[in-house]
Amino acid sequence: MTVTRIMSNYFNRNGFGLGIFLLVAVVFWVVILIVLPQISMLDFSFRHHLPPPEMGGPKDTYTLEHYKYLVLGAPGADTSYNVVDLTVFARTLLAAFFVTILDLILCYPLAYYLGQSRGGGMTRILVLLLIIPYWINEILRAFAFRIIFGDSGVINEVMLAMGLISDPIDFIRANVALYAGLGYAYILLMIFPIYNVIESLDRNQIEAARDMGAPWWRIHWRVVIPYAKPGISSGCTMVFMLSAGALAAPQILGGPSSLWFTQIIYQWFNTGGNWPRGAAFAIVLLVTCIVIVLSLMRLFKVRIGDIGK
Amino acid sequence: MKAENFLLKFILIAYLVVFFGYLLGPLIVMSITAFNSPAFPKMAPWECLTFEWFDVLARDQRILSGIQNSVIVGIGTVFLSVIMGLAGALVLTQIWPKLRATYYTIVIAPILIPGVVLGISTLVFWDRINIMLGFSSGSFLHNGIFLTILGQSTFIASYCMLVFIARLQRFDTGLTEAALDLGATNVQAFRKILLPFMKPAIGSAAVLAFLASFENYNTTTFTFGKFPTLTIELAQKVRYGINPSISSLAFIIIVLTVVGALVHEIYRRRQQLALANGAPVAAVTGGFQLPKFFRGNPAAVILVLMALGGFSTIWFAQVYNPTECKVDVREQKRLIQGERIKAIRQKQLEQQQQKLLKGPDVFGGSKTQPPAAAGDVPQSPGKGAFGNVFDPGNLDKTAPQATPEKPVQSPGKGAFGNVFDPKNLDKASPQGN
Repeated sequence: MTVTRIMSNYFNRNGFGLGIFLLVAVVFWVVILIVLPQISMLDFSFRHHLPPPEMGGPKDTYTLEHYKYLVLGAPGADTSYNVVDLTVFARTLLAAFFVTILDLILCYPLAYYLGQSRGGGMTRILVLLLIIPYWINEILRAFAFRIIFGDSGVINEVMLAMGLISDPIDFIRANVALYAGLGYAYILLMIFPIYNVIESLDRNQIEAARDMGAPWWRIHWRVVIPYAKPGISSGCTMVFMLSAGALAAPQILGGPSSLWFTQIIYQWFNTGGNWPRGAAFAIVLLVTCIVIVLSLMRLFKVRIGDIGK
Repeated sequence: MKAENFLLKFILIAYLVVFFGYLLGPLIVMSITAFNSPAFPKMAPWECLTFEWFDVLARDQRILSGIQNSVIVGIGTVFLSVIMGLAGALVLTQIWPKLRATYYTIVIAPILIPGVVLGISTLVFWDRINIMLGFSSGSFLHNGIFLTILGQSTFIASYCMLVFIARLQRFDTGLTEAALDLGATNVQAFRKILLPFMKPAIGSAAVLAFLASFENYNTTTFTFGKFPTLTIELAQKVRYGINPSISSLAFIIIVLTVVGALVHEIYRRRQQLALANGAPVAAVTGGFQLPKFFRGNPAAVILVLMALGGFSTIWFAQVYNPTECKVDVREQKRLIQGERIKAIRQKQLEQQQQKLLKGPDVFGGSKTQPPAAAGDVPQSPGKGAFGNVFDPGNLDKTAPQATPEKPVQSPGKGAFGNVFDPKNLDKASPQGN
């Protein structure tokens, strides 16, 4: 009953043609582009790795093989757990976490400064300068870091010339380049949510706190940060998810000995040719990231509706 | 108090410098490498000013076809995601309140889902649809452009939707109601009232969508099939050997971005001025008066300066010829290389003498080798020099010492393995400078 009433209300409001058009567009997006592919990938990750003719045949049954592989490793391996892949997975998450914290520390002061300054020409130019790097291709940004941190990169050349070091330091192997590049790639997604929130903070609140004799760190701790929490958490969420799921920067800037979990997924899809296993790994990455983000949000009491504001 | 203020200001400025240095420094360094002559992009040491990398770029067929594919994909993505984003935003305003939170979570999720996952799920899903429908593997469902557009639109539509939601929040629904009361049909009200109101948002969503599509890598890398976009081509180039033509491409993109941003800024400035309706800008500036267009508009000034700089650079590029400088540098390099080779030969000679003294003991011989190998390190930075000491191929490398004159005579060819490979020498020589 209610459904028909809602539908008739909807069509009354939009008219038939427009109503159908909106519905078709939204259903196409939500069902065909978002939900079904994810479900299909989930289903696919429980399948055996079969050549195309055998798909749908008697051998095409559900299996936990690929998830087992991630945890336990190949059957008959020396170790009882899949140490290689699990280590990469843990390191990816840790590194993403680290990058998020780095970005937060870097961005918060600037976001506060921009949000509280009175929107003069200076602020506008700073915002413009902030946006410009974001339009540059992700690959090119990673490439720039490779030029800077490479063996004969700017930093090494300068330090060699100044006599600080005698041999070039291998920043790529030490993953310095990777962290710098990842932090760089997503820094704007941290700064703008925080900036937007702080911009709407009433300056009188800060003045009041100052008049009451609060030192600056207490003003931030008790007034600004609680107010900016939605912005901070949405920035952190985006940076964490995107850097855990980054592929370009690790491929270009990652050291020879350090893999990113997405690279393993990529390998299963391209060189490994085992799609179900790649899908299973992707599911694990996705679910873990979501769980981490949701639990952090619960911890800091932020709702998902605040994201993207 | 005053001293503290001063200190605070100092810290603030230092912080701003560091932050924007981090943000813009890489781009500046990359732009500079586009004009330096070494084949490996680097800023220091500066060798010769050159424009040849732009030529290399313009002749690169793969980059050009990549740009073409990117534009096709970009247009498709803009079209699809603006429509879906607009529909999504409109539905959000009307949806049953109990469903709203769920709906919002679903349509916002693609922003948070890693791009890799989106690419994989698109690929897997359409592959299965293809099998289910019984099409051959060459059908349009496997077409790289088709898949890429769908995969990218999945999350770009969410960006667009956010833009539309922000605009819709300021929409006065009373306007539509008034139009309907006055006898307009729903479609008319939509076309005449809502769409014009949404127009600026549609414009910015389209630009956003195109740029996001143009620079997407994570999703596209799984779906592109036989149609690599520019980003894919770039990634492959960067991963398998880099040269400054990529820097020159980056330089072009940076310049375009800056120009775009400035034009946008000018446009906004003028709108604001128009809003302020003859605010006494001139009275404030006083003294020296710029032409009207530039007044209180630093962005326009910068833009004009940049255009002048651009034209003069192009003119200069036509006139300027870096060959002479390059010959000089090559000559210098050859001298340094000669000295380097001499030094190495000296070392090897000493080492051989030591070997002779110690007799043909294999283990003893290899123990004395490491110091010489350490001398080799800067020459072959990509290889573990110590690892090579003990492998039999090492003999091949030491062989050229018997006929040491040749590599100097034909520096263009790496006749004797890695040691005399001209690339190695190129890489090594700056350390000699």
